[in-house]
Formats: sequence, structure tokens, C-alpha cells
Amino acid sequence: MKHTLEMRNIVKRFPGVIANNRVNLTIRAGEIHALLGENGAGKSTLMQILYGFHPMDSGEIFMDGEEILLRSPKDAIALGIGMVHQEFMLVRPFSVVENTVLGLREGSGPFLDLQRASERLKELSNRHGLALDPAARVGTLPIGVQQRVEILKLLYRDARLLILDEPTAVLTPQEKNQLFAILRKLKEDGRSVVIVTHKLGEIMECADRVTVMRDGQVVATREIAATSEQELTRLMVGRDVNLRANKVDQEPGAPVLQVHDLRVNDESGREKVCGLSLEVHAGEILGIAGVDGNGQSELCEALLHLRRIQRGKVLVNGGEVTHQSVAKHRASGISYVPADRRRVGSVTEMSVADNAVLGLQRKYMRGLFRNSSEARKSAETLATRFGIRSSGIDQAAGKLSGGNLQKLILGREIMRGAAVLFVEQPTRGLDVGAVESVWQELLAARKEGKAILLISAELDELLNLADRIAVMFEGRIMGTVETATASVEAIGLMMAGIRPSETIAVGPTRKELRHGETL
Amino acid sequence: MAKLFERRLTPADSPLAVLATTSAAFLAAMLVAAFLFLSYDASPFQAYFALFHEPFATLRGFGYALVRASPLALIALGTIVSWRSGFSYLGFEGCFVIGAAAAGWLALWTAPGLPIGPIPFILFLPLAILGAFLAGGLWAGLVGLVRAGLGGNEVLISLMSNYVAIFVLQYLVSGPLRAPGSLPETRLFPRTTWLPFILPGTRAHAGILIAIIAAVLVWVLLKKMPLGYELIVTGFSPSAAKYAGIDVGRRLVLAAFFAGGLGGVAGLTEVLGSQHRLMDGISGGVGFVGVVVALLARLNPMAVIPTALLYGGMSVGADAMQRRASIPSSITFILQSLAVLLVLAFEALRYYKINFGFFRGAPPSVVEQVPK
Repeated sequence: MKHTLEMRNIVKRFPGVIANNRVNLTIRAGEIHALLGENGAGKSTLMQILYGFHPMDSGEIFMDGEEILLRSPKDAIALGIGMVHQEFMLVRPFSVVENTVLGLREGSGPFLDLQRASERLKELSNRHGLALDPAARVGTLPIGVQQRVEILKLLYRDARLLILDEPTAVLTPQEKNQLFAILRKLKEDGRSVVIVTHKLGEIMECADRVTVMRDGQVVATREIAATSEQELTRLMVGRDVNLRANKVDQEPGAPVLQVHDLRVNDESGREKVCGLSLEVHAGEILGIAGVDGNGQSELCEALLHLRRIQRGKVLVNGGEVTHQSVAKHRASGISYVPADRRRVGSVTEMSVADNAVLGLQRKYMRGLFRNSSEARKSAETLATRFGIRSSGIDQAAGKLSGGNLQKLILGREIMRGAAVLFVEQPTRGLDVGAVESVWQELLAARKEGKAILLISAELDELLNLADRIAVMFEGRIMGTVETATASVEAIGLMMAGIRPSETIAVGPTRKELRHGETL
Repeated sequence: MAKLFERRLTPADSPLAVLATTSAAFLAAMLVAAFLFLSYDASPFQAYFALFHEPFATLRGFGYALVRASPLALIALGTIVSWRSGFSYLGFEGCFVIGAAAAGWLALWTAPGLPIGPIPFILFLPLAILGAFLAGGLWAGLVGLVRAGLGGNEVLISLMSNYVAIFVLQYLVSGPLRAPGSLPETRLFPRTTWLPFILPGTRAHAGILIAIIAAVLVWVLLKKMPLGYELIVTGFSPSAAKYAGIDVGRRLVLAAFFAGGLGGVAGLTEVLGSQHRLMDGISGGVGFVGVVVALLARLNPMAVIPTALLYGGMSVGADAMQRRASIPSSITFILQSLAVLLVLAFEALRYYKINFGFFRGAPPSVVEQVPK
């Protein structure tokens, strides 16, 4: 038993919560260990303690039976513990090799020996099947490859234990399979891998053992062979969750949002949305599938005029809003739940109450002044109706868990009573319980007759919620399918840019796609 | 395991804790600065007595403290408006000078035969405040426009604009507004344009009242008005502000305008309240000290007046100390700067609490609170 890692009785407190309450975790040499739990269950905290990011309040960590002290990530790296964060820590204009040696002293004296480093990188890359070119600029690499650069960085530092935080959140199915293959190779090499995740399917697919956390405590550790998705779900949330949304059939109404031949550029002037047309009806959810970075964010931003529209038209309830200000867009009946909850959808430094009126700051007025008692009352209503767990509406929004923050934003946008709702990656990084409640709220909004444009990289989410799914690839819609008759394979192919020859509908034309009759 | 100082999870932010750490920082600064007095063979106790006795225990000194505090407070308020809106403006020296020039020019025009002509003070004051506010506001607003429209760096541009403003004033007092005589300065303003003195027997003028009113207005703006909410959202997160339908560019320009306006009014209190004429070099760094006052007041408009008074009072005391004990007043500037540094550094102390159980050998409280 080489390189066993054991965490004993770890206690870590944050304001108002015990993030880790006497947690025990053992990671064996040469295993892939999944750490499963809802958001706020304490799994990230535990891993950050292991990586030396946070000091623990009490507890012990042993490596091969000897107690170790982790004061900083530097200590962790020296002991062979490495972490790949959800957001990569890469310098985009640097090459792979430059990123790898960053923070190390390679070469002699003040000079870098990148040549030698490159050779070692190549060797490591070949041995572990990473297929990386040391000279490539990181900024030009796809996300999945960037992740491999992060893994390579750890291998270069000879990490024996690799922690991956939500590694598959941004990957295509193909990239995901590649990642799992790499992880298996690392395992054969005798290294240990911890993946922090809440995706059960992936755990079943690649892990050897799984430890489930809930409310800061370890609920159970299981061999994968001896457990099931149902059991893990139950352990994780403490109850059985129905992750099949109960979508009621309903006849969609008149078209509410119409987009014609939209063209949008990104900051560097490249066209990211290339002549896209779509139509969303009242009481309908139109899903936009696609791998991140294929123009979905630009589409959303353009629809709210956060980004300039080069060409095309946007109509809400028949009225053109294309080039009007964001405030006018909002007034015309558009609500938007952005993907970036912490920087766009909310102001984390401000209280829950203040965030509940973001975008509505001129609605609650008493003469010239803000009517803060009215605003607070509506914040209370919002918190109650959407079940936002906080220590009160004066708590800073940044201290809410991801799920609660998302409920706050979603609730605010729904309660505005807008006719159109753009929802971008609404459940990214959320735990099962929060996903369920977000889904319920979206379906409730659909029932109320809102026209919903749901942009998601999670196919599962789209299949559960959307009435129709349009697949976006490189700024275009590859095809639109009725969810009821859609095949996952066909959608997957379209996400990869392959226009299916035999799919039901091809191209962005919408006329022949009158939907709903069969649902 | 028990430690005397235990780390807290959130900083203690009760008024008492803030007061305690701030006082501790001041005491520490005074302790360090005390060593500087020793080289002058002066007793630190006597020196400190002189430093605080003059401004806070003599009427005359207190009057001077009020005079110094008024522009500092107004500039600090301007700093709060701009910085909380995410606009790192540092051009208050320039706004001060431009505002002073505007107010001075208007004051000179009230002489008989000139465009305004003799008018009563009650009419002149609003006119002058408007003029100084507009002048300072437009001066800073230009920087705001550059930042919002072209994405320039406001720190750099505003710092540079200070020099331009100072040279503009130099030009005015040595050219068009110069009074006959040898010095580059204007004539004395007509008496009817002077801010009234408010404490008999002192030089204290109504500028401090203007500053107090401004403090209340800034507080109302930021706390009670939707515009203030929008400014603060813009300051915290421009992307969230845009998302909320707030026109970030316009808000930045507006914040710059308000900030510069307050800086301009600060110039007004100086020339109409104590100099009563325009001359070169009237600003003397007040535009930067005001920023420091705002930082010391933790960007809270309600804390600005006492902080400015303390700061102004200390510089009055420093002058007295220099006159009486020949101790250079620069020691006081060292003390003031140390105080700022330590007040900011001592923020960290609020993350700790003293564990009295340490003396009894009790275990740390953190573990005690973990439920079984």
C-alpha cells in the first residue's frame, strides 16, 4: 500500500456554517475516488484543505501513515498532491511548456531551460496519452485540451494524488471519454485520482470508490461495484429525487420572441452568431444545445443588447427591440438568467435584499427615494416562494451557495412577470436538489405561458425540459428537433458539427416545424 | 492547542470593534512617531499635548481646525462618490483649483461696474456654489467622458489633469485677473462675497456648514436614491450593472461630475472662506489629503466630518508645535501618514478575538461549537 492518504476528523468552519464536520476520508494508491455531494456539502472545502488552500480548524492528515502538515499549496505540491481547479489556472498567451514551468525554477541561474522542460513534457505526454504539443499557445487550445495541460502540469511536478474539481463540466462527450481514458492510465501508473463531482453517471463510469458527503459530513463510502445510482442519489440528498421532470403537455401559444438572421461578433470582431433565426412561442421552452463557446453566450447577450447586433432583427410580441437599450429590452418584457451568476446575475458584495431588486431599482419608489421597505418585502416574498436558504435577506449574496444564488436570480427574473425568459446554463455547478427545484420553476413558468429560451450544455436538461431542441454549432443552428422524437445520437452528432442526413428536420427553417400537435 | 488570539471567521464589525481597532492604530502610530521627537530633545508627551491642545482645547485653534476641515471633508465626499462608483478619480487637486477659480471669478464680478454687480450674499452664495460645482464637475466629467467613451485610464488622466488646472490658475492670477502690484494674485474679493464667520473670535467660516450639508446629501444619494444604488452596483460590478439595464458609461460620467463638483465647492470654501482672493498655490495638496480622509473614513459619508476635523486639527496643532517648540511640522505629517497606514493595516485585527480561556487553559472554542 504505497501512497495512501488519510484525512481524519477534519473540522472546518466558515461564517455561519460548518463546512466540514469531523470528516474522514481515505484515498488508496492507484484508485479513482469520486467525492460526491450536493453543492455546499463541503466537498470542495475538503479538497481545498487537502491542497493547502484553507487551513483546517482541527483534524489530522496522514500520508503513508505519517502525519503531514499542509500550510499552503506549495506544501501540497511538494508532497505530490495536485489539483485541477474548475476554472483553469493557465496563462493564455503562454505556451504549454511555459505554463508548466511557471512557478518552478527550471534551468540554471536566472535562465530558463525550456528545451529540457519541453522534452520531459513530450515524454510525459506520450506516456500518459495526453497528446500535447509543448509549444502550442494555451489560449488557442480547446477547453478539453487546456484541461489536459493542467493535468500535465501536475504530472510534471510528479503529483501522486490528483484532485480534479468538476472536471467534466465544460467537456463534450468525446472529450469526456478522452479524459476518463487518461485518468485510467494514471491509475495504472499507481497514481490516485480524486474527482469532485455531482454527476452520478460519470462516477459509475470511471470511479473505483465513491465517498458521499452531505451537510459537511461523510455519509458513506462505497465500492462502485457494490452500489447503484439510486443508492448514491439517496445518500447524497437524503431522499429519492425524481430527476425526470414531469412536463405536462400543453399547446403553445402565439410566437412571442422572433429572431431573424441574427449576426453578432465577439470582442475581437470574429462573427460568433452567423445568421441565426428562431422563434419561441408562449408556453414553450425552446432548448439550445451545443458545446460551450459555439456562440450561445453571444446570442444571449445580443438578445438583451449587452452585445451589439451587427445584422438581423429581434422582435418581442411583434415589436422590434433589436437596437434598443438593455433597460428598454427589459421593459419590453425580457428577463435573462445569465450563466455567470456571480459576476453578471448578481452583485456578490451586496445583500440578498439589494440583489432582489437588481434591475428593478426604479420600481420601488417613494417620491424621489427608494422605498426600501417595499423592496425588502418583495425580497422576503422571493426568498420564501423560491425557498432561498440564507441567514436572512441582509446576508451578502456572495455567501449563498450556488443553488440558492441561482434561485434568487431565477426567482427575481420570473417574478418580474416578463413574457420572455432567457435562461443560460441554469443548473451548471448545482447539486441534484437545486437542479430539481430550478427545473420545477422553469416548468412552472412555462405553464404560466412564458416563452422560454433555454441554453444549456447539459443534454439531459434539455431532453427533460424543452419542447424543441435546436443545436448550435459555430454560430449556426445545425438542426431543430422535437424533443419527443429526438435521438440523443443525432443531437450529439449535430453538436459536433455533423449535419445528420436522416434526422427529422434540417437547417434553421422553422415553418415545417409546427410543433406541439403530437406532444 | 489553546491560543491567546483566535482567528474569527468574519471580522468583528460592531461600531465598538471598529472604534477599538482605529484607536489602537492611532495609538500605535503615536508610539512610533514618539521616537521622532526624541531627536529634538523634546518630550513626546509635551509634544502630543501641544499637538492636540491647540486645535481641540483652544477656541482659536478649533476655529482653524474647522477651516482646514471644510475642504478636506468636501474632497473626501467627492472621493466617496467617485470611488464607490468604481471611478478611481485622483484629480481633486485640479477640481479644487478650478472650483476656486470659478468662485473667485464670480466674486470679483460682483464689484460695481462688472457683469454681476453688487448683489447680496444670500443671492451670491447659491450662484457661487453652482458655478464652482459646475466648473469642478465639468473638469472631472471630462475625465469621466474619456474613461467611459474611450476606455482611458482615469487614474493617470486625472493625475495629469491636476497640473493643467494648476497652470490654468497660474495663468489667471498672473494674467487676466491679476491685481495691480507685484504678487501674482487677484484683488481682495468684495466683503459681500465672503463666507460668514461662524464662531466669534475665530476664523471659522460657514464652509464647514456647507460640508456638513454635503455629507448628508451624499449619504442620501448613496443610501436612499435609486441613482445611488445604480452607482454602487456600477462600482461593484459593471457587468452586473449593464445586465440590470444601468447605463454604465453615463453613470461613470455622472459620478465623475458629482465628485468633481464637490471638489470644486471645496475650492470655493477655501477662497471665499479664508483666502478671500485667488493666488497661485492655494491647493497645496489638499486634493490628495482629502482622498486619504475618505479612506480613513472607510468611504462612509457620515464618518467624513469627524475624520476631516481630526485631520485638519492635527495640521493646526503641528503648526503650533513648530511655532512653540521648533519641532518641524513634518513630524505631524509622518504621524498622519503612519496613522493611515496603521488604520488600514489594523483592519486585519478585527479578524481576531482574544481567547480569555487561554489563561485558564481551556480548549479553543472552535471545537466546542461543533455539534456532536
